[in-house]
Amino acid sequence: MKSYKTSTVIEGKDITKNFQVGGAPVCVLKEISLKVQRGEFVSVMGESGSGKSTLLYILGGLDSPTGGSVYIDGTDISKLDDRKMSEMRRRKIGFVFQFYNLIANLNVEENIMLPLLLDGCKMWDYRERLEEILEVVGLKDRRKHTPRELSGGQQQRVAIARSLIGRPEILFADEPTGNLDSKTGAEIMGLLQDINKNDGQTIIMVTHSPEAAKSSSRIITVKDGAIL
Amino acid sequence: MKIILKYILVNVKERKARSVVMMLSILLSSALLFVSFCIGASYESAQRKMAIGMAGSATVSVSPADGTRPISPDEIPDLESTGQKVKVLKSAALYHEKGYYETVDLIGAELDELNKINPPRLADGGQISDFTGRQIILPDRFTSKYHIEKGDTVTLQVNQKPVAFTVSEIAAYDTVFLRHTRGATALIPYSALMEILGGEGGGSEILLEPAAGISTEELLYDLHENLAAEKYQVAQIVDEIQIEAGARQKSMPFFLISFFALTMSVFIIYSSYKVITLDRLPSIGTFRSIGATEKAVTGILLLESVLYGSVGGLLGIPAGMFALKLILRGLGKSLTEGIEIPVVMPVPVILLSFLVALAVSILSAWIPVRRASRLSVKDVVMGMVEERVVPKRFLMTAGVVLFILSVILPHLAEGNMLYLAGGISIVGMIASTIIIIPLVVDGLAACLEQLYGLIFKNEGRIAARNMKANKNTVQNITLLFISISAVIVISVVGDFVSTYITDVFRDAELQGFADGEVDQEFVEQVKQMNGVKTILPLYVFKNEIKGEGDMFTRVEATDDLEAYSAMFGLNYTAKDMEKKAAAAFEKERTVILSEDCLKEKGVKIDDIITLAKDGVEKDYRVAGSFKSRATDVEAVVPSNYAVSDFHADSYGFLAYTAQDADAVMVQIRDLFADRPNWSRTVEEFNEDALSTVSAFLKPMHSMTYFILLLAAVGVINNLLINYIQKRRTIAMYKSIGLSHRQNVSIMLIEGFTSGVIGAAIAAGVSYLEIKTVFLVAGPKITMAPELELSMFFASGAMGIAVTLAGTFIPIFKSRRMKLVEEIRYE
Repeated sequence: MKSYKTSTVIEGKDITKNFQVGGAPVCVLKEISLKVQRGEFVSVMGESGSGKSTLLYILGGLDSPTGGSVYIDGTDISKLDDRKMSEMRRRKIGFVFQFYNLIANLNVEENIMLPLLLDGCKMWDYRERLEEILEVVGLKDRRKHTPRELSGGQQQRVAIARSLIGRPEILFADEPTGNLDSKTGAEIMGLLQDINKNDGQTIIMVTHSPEAAKSSSRIITVKDGAIL
Repeated sequence: MKIILKYILVNVKERKARSVVMMLSILLSSALLFVSFCIGASYESAQRKMAIGMAGSATVSVSPADGTRPISPDEIPDLESTGQKVKVLKSAALYHEKGYYETVDLIGAELDELNKINPPRLADGGQISDFTGRQIILPDRFTSKYHIEKGDTVTLQVNQKPVAFTVSEIAAYDTVFLRHTRGATALIPYSALMEILGGEGGGSEILLEPAAGISTEELLYDLHENLAAEKYQVAQIVDEIQIEAGARQKSMPFFLISFFALTMSVFIIYSSYKVITLDRLPSIGTFRSIGATEKAVTGILLLESVLYGSVGGLLGIPAGMFALKLILRGLGKSLTEGIEIPVVMPVPVILLSFLVALAVSILSAWIPVRRASRLSVKDVVMGMVEERVVPKRFLMTAGVVLFILSVILPHLAEGNMLYLAGGISIVGMIASTIIIIPLVVDGLAACLEQLYGLIFKNEGRIAARNMKANKNTVQNITLLFISISAVIVISVVGDFVSTYITDVFRDAELQGFADGEVDQEFVEQVKQMNGVKTILPLYVFKNEIKGEGDMFTRVEATDDLEAYSAMFGLNYTAKDMEKKAAAAFEKERTVILSEDCLKEKGVKIDDIITLAKDGVEKDYRVAGSFKSRATDVEAVVPSNYAVSDFHADSYGFLAYTAQDADAVMVQIRDLFADRPNWSRTVEEFNEDALSTVSAFLKPMHSMTYFILLLAAVGVINNLLINYIQKRRTIAMYKSIGLSHRQNVSIMLIEGFTSGVIGAAIAAGVSYLEIKTVFLVAGPKITMAPELELSMFFASGAMGIAVTLAGTFIPIFKSRRMKLVEEIRYE
């Protein structure tokens, strides 16, 4: 097991999120504050509509809060413009979604390398890292296949590989097993656990599944927009 | 970059039909634009070639200022700027065969000299040898018309005396023989023409070539400096400004077509991109979530439109070249002058057409792409993107207000602002109609649901319901509206131009005319001819009478102003002007002026102007003003004053109406015998004019069908998009028992209804567009356009046919649909 610093990597302060539903304001998150330490594996659980996914997206910078702030490595991400935020997403954040969100017409290698390519890196310079990550997710022999030619589990592995290629500080996962059968789901959770343990990767995961949450080091439960 | 390119190429490949449609729309637009540009350039080149005609490499001519004496090359000083100097003697002759007269311009030149600036080219490719004595070289177009062969003798009337020539060679219709007016040019030895004319040397003009490295402007400057203006007239042979203006006029209708084609392409690409971006939302979300900036996403999506623009533009240019060659070949053949119009394709035009294709593609995609890349990343990733809904009431109000303003605007503008107002008005009408169409379709769909329920039962009801809030239906109707209205506007304007130019005697009563010198006895003889109804002899003064210091190009005198007005269809500036002027003509020195002349001379009605000829000056009161398409006369005065003041003694023009205008014309030509005249019935005149104009209008008409083709491409595109978006619904219907026949009838009802709505909207809006076009052009023209109901119906029917044809691909695709796959598809 690799050693890692135990400093705060992400901090949410008084996060509030309001939506307008049919003209009426709905408060989805109510002044939530939390800290996640480097190397932690945090599961966010809660019922449908509790606000857990919204919290994840706000922490990951995909959505902005109505009130409060989010700090990643000490930087208030709400103050970043599109260019800086995109850079943050490329270098410090990795995302894994329930429906994989792969580019259907690119092969496994190309999908994995996309964040680096968007960062202006040359694919050749990252061959070694690609090999390493393919080894971790167990897709070495599928590298030239397109997502259509892969199973759901394999597609999710590609998504995980893609999120890790740039060695992000934090990996956000939104229901990573939600679209998989239990066996494949367990495999994916095993993979995430390994990455957390072996590489000290910080992971924040939203899940419905108590089984999946067991893999994490801390569980946060959200109910009616607040942390219990 | 390689991966991004691969992503784009695979996208293009996966949506073959849509990609083809987008490229095709760009291809057609760029081809049309390319043709529009090149038609003007080619025509300009042909006109320049004809204008250069006799002069060849000479660019300046020097002639005596008074035109009465000959000029010798020795009179031109030897300047450093002067190259070759060629003396040319000119005269006119008449060729008479079977009662038909043809004007022949005689060019007398020393062959050795002529060869230096403009060597004649023989039809058989041979060389001219021994060109002396009464020999003549005629162009092949003239000899083939009258079946004249080399070695034949032709007799021409020169100064009203018959002169026989031996045809020594037959020349190609080129160089010296090119002309832009009717008739023919013949080349004869200088000495022979000099002898016939009874001169003692010199020429009518000296043609000058600039020395090597000297521009025409420099040569002109030197000649002006060295030749006294009162003795010599120094002129540039080619009037570039006039040639450019002529070419602009010819290419204008093609630009009108290009405008509509580009509008449609923009619409097709814009609507396609709205769907493309919707399709790509998951990818956009992925790109954004892994750190792509808005700019990067916009760039990736726009790269695809660059691809469509580049490929469409690159293919459009060769397609345009092919179309241009076809058009110009037809054009050259059908022109009465029979010239060969060179195909001119300037490199800047090629580049410009390509760049416009690219720009249209990128700019049309810009709004949907930019909107998509700016969407909230979370919404895109979670599939929660909802289209912004603009309140219907706001849209309706904005659309109606814009439409009304667009219709009113040209009525409020005047002068040069009228053109700008007209342009804004047409664009405004199109834009506001596009805004209103979705609301109109929704309203109609609600009404049709009831009606179709009665006629087509449930299938009709479903079809009408499908049309409600259906963006693809709206897009189809919009495309049809643009294309049908384009076809109607272009056809009506084209037909009008054709009628306006060819039927100049449309509002005039005369049925035939004789342009030649005739005396009272001749007039009496014509009066006695069988079937003659009215006859109007006129005194004619060409460049003889001055008015307020300037020479009138043409003054005519008549003793019956009412008959004159009717014969030439004069449109008086004010309603009661004709009667007042006619009454004044009988008792005082009065003159009526064309409106242009009135403006030019800066006089008003009832002002007194002084008319002067040969030292005689008389005051005439301006009794009226007019415009007429049938005559280019500048001023009309009473006959008795023309005789007493300006010593008019023989008539110069005779107009008539008769039961059988052709029979009278034959008799008039016989009466003239060998005397020079230009006599035509109105029908003959119109035929001649039509053959020239229709040569330009024919390709323009055929190009309007490109617009419909473009519409067909767009409609098929929309129907395919509609099908792609609806296939799950269709699959669901099918899974609960919708038969293929029912599906087909629903699609056909939808297609037919879209066609009808599109055609009806197009008919209404194009009617207003035509009104605007003629309101803008109104002050310059004297007749109103004819709007034929059949034209509106035919265009509408074509639009409906296009939509129905477009439904076949989705029908075919839905037949092969795999139900399970579609239903499971998420």
